[in-house]
Amino acid sequence: MSDKTNENNKNIEIEPLQQAQDQLEKANQQAKEYLDSWKRERADFINYKKEEAKRVGEFIKFANEGIFLEMMEVLDNVEIAKKHIPEKIIEDHEEWLEGLEKALAGFEELLSRYGIEKIPIKDQKFNPVLHEAVNGGEGEDIEEVRAGYTMHGKVIRPARVKILSKN
Amino acid sequence: MGTTNSAMAIVEVGQPRIIENKEGMRTTPSIAAMGKSGERYVGITAKRQAVTNPANTIFSTKRLVGRRFKDEEVQKDKKLLPYEIREAKNGGVEIKMGEQWYKPEEISAMVLQKLKFDAEDRLGEKITEAIITVPAYFDDSQRKATKDAGEIAGLIVKRVINEPTAAALAYGLNKKKDEKVVVYDFGGGTFDISVLEIGDDTIEVKATGGDTHLGGDDFDQRIINYLINEFKKDYGVDVSRDQLAVQRLKDAAEKAKHELSSTLQTEINIPFLTADASGPKHFSTTFTRAKLEELVKDFIGHSIELTKKTIDETGFKISDINEVLLVGGQTRMPLIVEEVKKLFGKEPHKDINPDEVVALGAAVQGGIMQGEIRDVLLLDVTPLSLGIETLGQVFTRMIEKNTTVPVSKTQIFSTAADNQPSVEIHVLQGERAMAHDNKTLGRFILDGIPPAPRGVPQVEVSFDIDANGILHVKAKDKGTEKEQSIRIEGSSGLSDEEKKKMTADAEKYATEDAKKKELAETRNLAETLAYSTEKMVKDNEAKVKDDDKKELNDKIEKVRSALKSDDPEEIKKQTEELSKSAQRVGGELYKEAQNKQPEPAASAQESSGEPKEEPKDAK
Repeated sequence: MSDKTNENNKNIEIEPLQQAQDQLEKANQQAKEYLDSWKRERADFINYKKEEAKRVGEFIKFANEGIFLEMMEVLDNVEIAKKHIPEKIIEDHEEWLEGLEKALAGFEELLSRYGIEKIPIKDQKFNPVLHEAVNGGEGEDIEEVRAGYTMHGKVIRPARVKILSKN
Repeated sequence: MGTTNSAMAIVEVGQPRIIENKEGMRTTPSIAAMGKSGERYVGITAKRQAVTNPANTIFSTKRLVGRRFKDEEVQKDKKLLPYEIREAKNGGVEIKMGEQWYKPEEISAMVLQKLKFDAEDRLGEKITEAIITVPAYFDDSQRKATKDAGEIAGLIVKRVINEPTAAALAYGLNKKKDEKVVVYDFGGGTFDISVLEIGDDTIEVKATGGDTHLGGDDFDQRIINYLINEFKKDYGVDVSRDQLAVQRLKDAAEKAKHELSSTLQTEINIPFLTADASGPKHFSTTFTRAKLEELVKDFIGHSIELTKKTIDETGFKISDINEVLLVGGQTRMPLIVEEVKKLFGKEPHKDINPDEVVALGAAVQGGIMQGEIRDVLLLDVTPLSLGIETLGQVFTRMIEKNTTVPVSKTQIFSTAADNQPSVEIHVLQGERAMAHDNKTLGRFILDGIPPAPRGVPQVEVSFDIDANGILHVKAKDKGTEKEQSIRIEGSSGLSDEEKKKMTADAEKYATEDAKKKELAETRNLAETLAYSTEKMVKDNEAKVKDDDKKELNDKIEKVRSALKSDDPEEIKKQTEELSKSAQRVGGELYKEAQNKQPEPAASAQESSGEPKEEPKDAK
């Protein structure tokens, strides 16, 4: 025990300095680490706020999407009914039909005010980004089965199309 | 990586969050396809072209990945899959897409790559590492192949974890000890049951079971068949071969199934479903939850049997199970929740979106692994709300319960009486509405406030809790810059029992407290109005007509006598009466001031300034 103490005494000059230096280095290291984590945390938070603002913006922009999608299901049925208009009405009641068309056009105008556009079908080739196929046709030309829509450029419902067989 | 859909999540500010794909959807179909002119589609676009291109639209690769071609399952699936598969040289499976043959993991990689790109697009940074989940029953070869898929997609796969384990992580069950957990996973195409045992730092899979060909899609098919039959009964027309009609029935079936999770019945209404020589035929019917349950009862019964069997294999008793987790979209069905609850005699966990819980759990695992590297900073929350007592013994919260610390909040208060020389800051903790029902942490007085009418001095009170949970409360008179403060240690040093009791009391007395608080607020309002009306009359002594003076003074008197009672209705009534008169008189004063423009500036300002504030205060 006493031997050891003697030996320790020899180092007494160097040790405290060494110890202090070690401690300083450790403290510096730690301070750097803390500052770094703090900066990181601040950055994380600021970025999160930015992202959140963006997300809220997106959310507001598309907030009505769900309601419109449900309304479109009703519109789909009207469109299907239009395909089944009896010949007699087509022949004898042209103006009545015109009125119906105008009423429907009003709805489409309303949609466009909210950034909703019908996906065009005429002269288009099948493109799964915009269209959803309902049959196993071979060709590329398409016929609309159910209208599709974009909202602010995003496809909210693809157009459902029949693929027409070649020629 | 689901059999039918995949999802991805990241950890952000300590919480897992699903990342939407490019199309804005939270899940992505696990499908890849090769178009006619060699273009590649992945996800929803691949799904949209599937019927027109079945031979080159590859789905359900999860059923093939890492398997041997000769496996019984592969041979069974081969008959069901519309695309071509063959035995690879190494005995594995190869899939034909376009003119080329691919390994299943290469197809899976296409899906993963889309997810990677979409995530990079959303987050604006490179994604380099991933954690992928697999069913608990996957063997080494299937896990290896899944990992390969990730690497082909350009990801470093940090870990491949079990889906039920991920679900347990999402629910935070890894923090529990010695628990037995059953994960009941009813997805679109597969039903998986897993029994987990949570140990000290591990989650061990004790047994797995299920049916790889039972899922929500089977439910849909049952509904569609039922609807086809109903229509046939009504009209004698079979629409099962009419592609367009079946498509519309399918839409209706899916919609009805979803609706019946929250309602007891739904209307199915499909005009012009078909037409024959006699004219168009419309389909409308009422579809009830009871009917739906009858249609799929055997599926659910089967799943419950499989659950029992799997638990049996572990040697556990059903009563040994501590927690049950519901995963997969089909578990939204109330009958499933009910049957599971009946089997275990306890409420299953279903708070986290069952379509997303596995992906969220994978993100949690990612967070844990990052945490190990980056030394997680554990932040405390305040267990109870902190605040001060304000006029009428109301407890005004400064820092809400469950706020993450360190935090500081500042609010401006004022005096309640004219020439009030000091304010007492009474610091409290608790959830009750009235100050005296909460726990006092300390109090101090800020004095030396110069004489001023009530409501004029601005006393800024700030609460600051540092990272060690020490609360510093400071009050400062903005006029004189004089301040006082107090330091409260161990404000969260309540025992768990105390915390629980205080929170429970708050709930128990919620209605009563709300009434007391309302009375206090009504009184404050009445006192303020009486005070400010009195002041208006005094300040405008010369301008207010004698009749008006009398009317206002009478009404002030009535308010004050009402205040002596504790009847909120009476106080409100008298306050309203006074408010009406005060507004009228104030309005007249204001008009007068405008008519007689060239008044001395100072008094004009005073007389027009005060009444303008009156109605605001009275409201």
